Amino acid sequence: MKRAMVLATVALLGLAMAQGRTVNLLWSGAVTGPTSDVGGPYGAGIEDYCRYANEQKLIPNITLNCSVRDDQYQNPITQRIFEEALDRAKPAMYLGYSTGAMLQLKPLINEVKMPTLPASAHIGLIEPPNNQYMFLPVSSYSEQVVALMEYINRTSKNAKIALVVNPSPFGRAVVDHARRAAQRLGQSIVDVREVGGGNLDNTALLRALDAAGVEFIIHQNVAGPVANILKDAKRLGLDKKIKQMGAVYTGGADLIRLAGDAAEGYLWASSYYTLDENTPGISLQKQLAAKYNRSADILNSTNYTAGMLAAAIAVEAMRRAALRFNGRVDNETVYQALIGMNGPNAFKPGFAVSTKSGIEIDFTRSEQTGAEGLRVLEARGGKFVPVTEPFTSTLFRQVRNP
Amino acid sequence: MRNPWAQTGNYRTSYVQDTTIFANYREIVSVVLLLVALCILPMFLERSQVLVLNFILIYIIAVLGLNITTGYAGLISVGQAAFMGVGAYTVALSAPSLPFWLTVPLGGFAAAIIGFIVGIPSLRVKHLYLALATLAFQEIFVWVVGRSPALAQGAAIPVEMRNFLGLEISFRNHNYFWYYVILFVLVLVVIAWRNLLRGKYGRALIAVRDNDRAADAMGMDPGRTKLMAFALGAFYGGVAGGLLAYMQRAVVVEEFTLGRSVALLAMAIVGGLGTVVGSILGPAFIEFLRLYVERLSEWMKSNAFIQSITPAGVDVASALLPLSFGLVIVLFLVFEPRGLYNWWRLVRSYFRTWPFKY
Repeated sequence: MKRAMVLATVALLGLAMAQGRTVNLLWSGAVTGPTSDVGGPYGAGIEDYCRYANEQKLIPNITLNCSVRDDQYQNPITQRIFEEALDRAKPAMYLGYSTGAMLQLKPLINEVKMPTLPASAHIGLIEPPNNQYMFLPVSSYSEQVVALMEYINRTSKNAKIALVVNPSPFGRAVVDHARRAAQRLGQSIVDVREVGGGNLDNTALLRALDAAGVEFIIHQNVAGPVANILKDAKRLGLDKKIKQMGAVYTGGADLIRLAGDAAEGYLWASSYYTLDENTPGISLQKQLAAKYNRSADILNSTNYTAGMLAAAIAVEAMRRAALRFNGRVDNETVYQALIGMNGPNAFKPGFAVSTKSGIEIDFTRSEQTGAEGLRVLEARGGKFVPVTEPFTSTLFRQVRNP
Repeated sequence: MRNPWAQTGNYRTSYVQDTTIFANYREIVSVVLLLVALCILPMFLERSQVLVLNFILIYIIAVLGLNITTGYAGLISVGQAAFMGVGAYTVALSAPSLPFWLTVPLGGFAAAIIGFIVGIPSLRVKHLYLALATLAFQEIFVWVVGRSPALAQGAAIPVEMRNFLGLEISFRNHNYFWYYVILFVLVLVVIAWRNLLRGKYGRALIAVRDNDRAADAMGMDPGRTKLMAFALGAFYGGVAGGLLAYMQRAVVVEEFTLGRSVALLAMAIVGGLGTVVGSILGPAFIEFLRLYVERLSEWMKSNAFIQSITPAGVDVASALLPLSFGLVIVLFLVFEPRGLYNWWRLVRSYFRTWPFKY
């Protein structure tokens, strides 16, 4: 009798443990404060995908505790949130956000061996030192800008280009790589200007660039400042003379909403599918936005797609860790699952375009970029349509570490 | 002689007594007890809670400096974050070759030199015009860092210290180690602050703040006093920045922008300008307010009832934090311009004379 009771207790405990195990996933980003136009939809994407993962029981026998926290774009708050999580509910994976905070947290992330997928695609995050546990969901800003320069080179040789970047490490990240790429392509970077939010009149900037003979402006910024420049270019009649384009956070539905018809013809480098495309990821995005009553602005935002992709990668890594390590899902096993996500084991959720070899998301120990494919899209008739097939920038790999 | 333990007020009968650091024995005992409490406090806290304390202690040092410049000398400065930045970048550049007990004061001295230079306009301009001059410095600092490859153009410069006198510093004890270092530095700078202000230089600061022409007529040098106020305030800022660099393991320019300067000024105002206690209460109040409003905001987001009564498309929970900060500063300016220090003074007076009213 006594033995039976002990056995029953052990069995019950085992059952409870198998059913009730919780794994933590943390995201902290700017739901309020600067860049919240990006952070709001990004966080919503993570939140919705986590709910979906729990409802569908995507990770066997494990409940995902998804913590979405607002760091207000302040580095000390990001640090506190991350350390609080390490103390109280250690996440198996961390989904980060801003460039500055992520660069600052790099040594700590490396020390605690926490696999991290930041929203920022600053190349410095995956460069040594302390880069082992950092993974970019999509190609870096630098690669996007170099890809745009390659695209320019297809139709216009020896082009004169100006870079207009955000006055922050996020914006400046691309400048060195763009200069090196220009040298190889025979292009010239005529000017590098820093423009942040509140650029209500860009007449002087555009006139100066026009006088310098600039044919192309490449932006590395968020949508707001770019929209203002596009509207001013249209007002000054320079929209036909100077072609404008930019990296991932400059474009999308947000840009069209802000710039209106001035966005027509704007070229945008992005790894993500658009809402008009019929892929499993985009269908899921529409389905979840409807299910969780998200506004049209959030549904249409590429940042909502980006948040979902980050969460999807994390959930998939956890699922694989659970299968491979007998249900053990922690930072170490998730890291192993993440660096094993390549070749035939690459991940294909359908949020981002695939490379020529058909790979959407893959990581290795040394290749820490997920979606390496990207496309150039053009704003036409109030939406972005792809004007290239998915490609990877070969030149970027040459200029990354010359 | 009166029993020093039974004093109900300050009965100073000589200049020497008037310039003591502590007014009476009770004050000494209170400070010692407070320090003992602060020393044992981390034993009851998690690492992340100690991190919050570290930020508060660092902001206290910066606000003490701001209180020399703005609180005592009356020179409005909205560049304190930039002085912190000067200290932090000095530490970042010197940390690979110097120990922290040298780099942190070095950061302070570098900031003091810059503070001296920034203070030069104060010889000619006052009030809002001077505030604009310091604002210009704040913006110039961010601009210069952003264009300096040596400073990683504002991106992160790692500042790591893995070992101190054989003690290995890792994630497990990082916050605790820096807590005690920062606390030690804070005690030193508070003593220096009190020591400065009880002497002729401190009195000169007050005299220059109240009427610089009268101070000049009485033989003080207003120009030198103002420059000294800027340099000293910046020194405190530089030390705070240096400690922040070590504590955060890396220096990023985003930590030292105008927003941070305004936040420090808000802490000084909420705490009470020109007082040590205010310099301590202000940062503590603002940081704890941030923490608890954040908790409230998260609770509101997760509460189905609150969500059901909130109009669609209106995110009250997210708006709570910026709203509460603005409101607190406005309320203090309107109803309690002397800050939390005044509440502290009233409470202390009540207990000092208890059970009597006077």
